[in-house]
Amino acid sequence: MSEQYDPNIVAFLCNWCSYAGADLAGTSRTHYPANINIIRVMCSGRVNPLFIINALQQGADGVLVSGCHPGDCHYMEGNFYARRRFGLMKELLEYVGVDPKRFNMSWVSASEGSKWKDVVEDVVEKAKEAGPFEQFRRNKINW
Amino acid sequence: MVDLEKLKNVAKDTVSREDVKYLIGWRQGTYGFRVSPLFMTEPEDADKLIFSPLCVNNLATYLTLAEKLPVPRGAEPDTRKVALMVKGCDSRAVVQQLIEKGIERESVLVIGCPCQGVLDLEKVEEKFPGIHSPVDVQWGDDKFIINLPDGPQEVPREELLAKKCLNCRYPNPVMSDVMLWEEVEAWGNGEYADVKELEEKDSQARWSFWQDKFESCIRCYACRNACPMCYCEDCVLDRLNPQWIYRSNNISENTVFHLARAFHLVGRCIECGECERVCPMGLPLMTLNRKLVKEVRDKYDFEPGLDPESKPFQSSYRPDDQEDFIL
Repeated sequence: MSEQYDPNIVAFLCNWCSYAGADLAGTSRTHYPANINIIRVMCSGRVNPLFIINALQQGADGVLVSGCHPGDCHYMEGNFYARRRFGLMKELLEYVGVDPKRFNMSWVSASEGSKWKDVVEDVVEKAKEAGPFEQFRRNKINW
Repeated sequence: MVDLEKLKNVAKDTVSREDVKYLIGWRQGTYGFRVSPLFMTEPEDADKLIFSPLCVNNLATYLTLAEKLPVPRGAEPDTRKVALMVKGCDSRAVVQQLIEKGIERESVLVIGCPCQGVLDLEKVEEKFPGIHSPVDVQWGDDKFIINLPDGPQEVPREELLAKKCLNCRYPNPVMSDVMLWEEVEAWGNGEYADVKELEEKDSQARWSFWQDKFESCIRCYACRNACPMCYCEDCVLDRLNPQWIYRSNNISENTVFHLARAFHLVGRCIECGECERVCPMGLPLMTLNRKLVKEVRDKYDFEPGLDPESKPFQSSYRPDDQEDFIL
């Protein structure tokens, strides 16, 4: 199973650092797993905790939130709020029994194309270990 | 000790004041151990007021639940205060609402009632079943004196104490305009046995525990309505666009509902235990909330509802917040 299994990962990247970092990885022809689906947001502080739960509910096997390094936020402090919020989100998910490997957070700056590659490889590896997410996946309704 | 005469005199004086709209207190309910809220507008109603181990309800909910009718043209808005009787935990709810600017300091008059711990209604009804006439309960030294129709009964305190009170660290109101009687000594140490027990299990066991609980949820939203901190005018559960949480009652939507509800209380839950008390299916909702209370306290050194001048947890940060979870 683990050889063929392709996890589906949703990544919320901030416009100013991580998205540009992922873009740099792309323009520098870096190879990284294609399991990641990127959603660009203006700031990691914009990511609503419900985005995470909803992504898991609608078919993601793992979620990644990535933003600027602390102190480098385009909006000065957005990533500090995000850090507080998602630290507790991770605790809560772990507490109800969701594998903590499914939810990850990272700081990737616009010049860290190679770090982005490492992060994605790490996240995909973790999601493969965790396996398909079924705990509270929303069932498709056939009308 | 509880001084009912003083309570009644203070209530009379308060209600007679020009700048007070009404007083919210407790009154004996219509049967058994039940207690109802009393909205007191006339000084004569003071005789109905009680304060006993039966006063479990958190009345702070009513501050934000009151309907705000539009002011007719040309009329002055009603700026009178609402007087509110609070126990220790309730006062933290008031303070937290002040921190969040859900209410204004001028609009509320807090009457503090230091509390020695309230009864668990389920336990007491199980112990004394089939009692229909209203029962009066008093605090004794390390016991509850229950005045049943066939004579008073004494029960040790630990036997009937509500779960939230077993480990209470704030039995005295943290903020009040009038303090009715002398403060009591806090007995809690802030350790959560239920959370610890669950944390020690493995991931699979935790999920089967919560899956079982969440599956039995009927989504009545009583937990949201009773919570003094859930007072958004536009609740995410009622919103249709975007509809984050579908109304269907299945494990997926129920889990998401409970995660969202718990997460909205991060750094806000003041542990009054109302959600768990009102739950018709008996879900251990405080076991979920307490986990987050514990994390916020241990890892971020923050406790909600203590200082009206402080900032809300989720709209503040410290540059040295923990980040060991970040890749």
